[in-house]
Amino acid sequence: MQFQTCRPYRQRPPVVVDLPGCIGYNEYKMAEKTKTHSHAISLDEALTLGKKLGKKVLLENLRQMLLIRNFEIRAESAYQHGKVGGFFHSYIGQEALQTALLQVLGPDHWYITTYRCHALALLLGATPNELMAELYGRATGNAKGRGGSMHFFTERLLGGFGIVGGQIPIATGAAFSLKYRNIKDELAVCFLGDGAVAQGAFHESLNLAALWSLPCLYIIENNMWGMGTSVERAISVPRLAEDKAPGYGMKGYTLDGMDFFTCYAGFEKIAQEVLKHQRPVLVEVITERFRGHSISDPALYRSKDELKACMERDPIILMVTVLKELGYLDDAVFEQMDKQEKDLVVAAMKYADESPWPDPITLEEDVFAP
Amino acid sequence: MYLHRETQMQLIDMREALRQALDEEMTRDDRVFIMGEEVAEYNGAYKVTKGMLDKWGPKRVIDTPISELGFAGLGIGAAMTGLRPVIEFMSFNFSFVAADQIISHACKMYYMSGNRFSVPIVFRGPNGAAAQVSSQHSHCVEAIYGNLPGLIIIAPSNAYDAKGLLKSAIRNNNPVLFLESELQYGDKMEIPVAEYLVPIGKASVMEQGTDVTLVAHGRMPQMCKLVVKEMAKRGVRVELIDLRTVKPLDIATVATSVRKTNHCVLVEEGHLFTGICAETAFQIQEHCFDDLDAPVARVCQKETPMPYSKTLERETMPTVERIIAAIEQTLA
Repeated sequence: MQFQTCRPYRQRPPVVVDLPGCIGYNEYKMAEKTKTHSHAISLDEALTLGKKLGKKVLLENLRQMLLIRNFEIRAESAYQHGKVGGFFHSYIGQEALQTALLQVLGPDHWYITTYRCHALALLLGATPNELMAELYGRATGNAKGRGGSMHFFTERLLGGFGIVGGQIPIATGAAFSLKYRNIKDELAVCFLGDGAVAQGAFHESLNLAALWSLPCLYIIENNMWGMGTSVERAISVPRLAEDKAPGYGMKGYTLDGMDFFTCYAGFEKIAQEVLKHQRPVLVEVITERFRGHSISDPALYRSKDELKACMERDPIILMVTVLKELGYLDDAVFEQMDKQEKDLVVAAMKYADESPWPDPITLEEDVFAP
Repeated sequence: MYLHRETQMQLIDMREALRQALDEEMTRDDRVFIMGEEVAEYNGAYKVTKGMLDKWGPKRVIDTPISELGFAGLGIGAAMTGLRPVIEFMSFNFSFVAADQIISHACKMYYMSGNRFSVPIVFRGPNGAAAQVSSQHSHCVEAIYGNLPGLIIIAPSNAYDAKGLLKSAIRNNNPVLFLESELQYGDKMEIPVAEYLVPIGKASVMEQGTDVTLVAHGRMPQMCKLVVKEMAKRGVRVELIDLRTVKPLDIATVATSVRKTNHCVLVEEGHLFTGICAETAFQIQEHCFDDLDAPVARVCQKETPMPYSKTLERETMPTVERIIAAIEQTLA
């Protein structure tokens, strides 16, 4: 169990997060001293939290993460076989944070995310079949073959959005709707990447949300890279949420996105805060994508050692470690779960492959809503 | 004599017609709200929303900071989640700051999401030239946004159409750009007191004629009315068509007229290159090639940014004289 030994956080200053009782304040003090970056709760805290959540819930969350991982791996291979076209952005490496958030909040909120949207759609109940069929461009796809990899939707998922930062005002509008209708037990959740923090839409949205007290949870998934530009070369301050949020009169938090338990503990507190105070909050979740920006990106800007170091903190491995420690899981059960999700995705590929192409006669349908 | 409400008329200006449309639709549907710069406490930069804050309160008449990208996008998000926003741009030139939200989200969402999310939103405000407001406040946006499937573009020329079309726009389930003219907010017209709608996508034949078809939209049909009068004196009967809705374009009404007159002149306040006239003329040649006795002519803004000086401003814009010259050339 290696919660505290993250890789050095490049040239960025150490981070001190004041979130007492939530994500291990002492670790940050330690990180400050050792010039390393760590956002994790301790193993003891993870075990306590794990016991509280219970075996059934934890295994279900692990299953979700395995579904996401298997979906991305198989979809990538389908891409390599020419079954999938266009842009394709893998979520591999980032599974823990959205899974943990969904465990905290449940699906009955407005969700919105970037073009890296496969995981959130799965977590919100879209089936592997409809998503794979969308990637294959088939009529049975999630968006009838019109959206593709970057544009998945569900009843409460307002979309994967293809313009960096473009979804942030839309999420703010969803939060506005909740306030307008006096709905107090739902919020709008906006995922954005570290690259989007440089966009004007980020600034305008946060200003409006804070000005009007809109219940929006803005979550920056900092995977360290905006395509091939490292976050240090793109953003003028080291802490994306904690340095930016005060400028809008908002609270800002930082979480370790590789660890399910840290994310769960952090999001539980933060989501309650948004719901209770009906105020927006900005969260930075430090994570890593194990792949390039998109499928065509070999990520040559990242050294093999760097990649190896971050893959040692694979969110699935970290979770499995805790589950084993708790006695909820052994290798045989894990392998069985993994195989089950793999089979589900392989079946989805078959479903997609056998699904009909959209009829060209439908091309000009639905440009306008009735 | 007692007048029934159905036949009662009122003499009001364009801004009052727009205000009545907003007010009636807010009464009818509590999902409708108004948002924009200076719409509430200032009573509207051009007083279209005068008195609305007092009547409806700050929940439904909402002042924004100077943040077009933010509040345009916020409106789209609100529309996707069940509300029906009316977003005012103080000038449609400021919509360029919000262009990504309109272009990449509003008009693509319904199709892109496989019919899951529609975007019932109206963006309204003054478009095109006013009085010497120079290049950054005078651009006509319809040709730029005309290139986007999924967007409805309306540009009324009078108070009657403005009221009926704005009501239809607010009830429509698609994003609508509703283009007004600062120069026309004070134009008075007698319109019914009783509620009515004007359908989107239907041009109107403002003047009947047999010799030449004149097609315009927005502020231009009023200028063209002067042309019709002048040409009548010269013995030329002009049929004047007000497009009212730029997109979808009612080519059927235009083509029916051109088949009758065999001559056509198109007028547009905006620029020549890839303008609405260019599209209309192309569709006319598709539908009426054998009916035309002369090439279709157009009178548009010349290819310059809008200059400040009065004399230059007049020179770059369509004028009665230029339209008459185009008609005479086409009939020659």
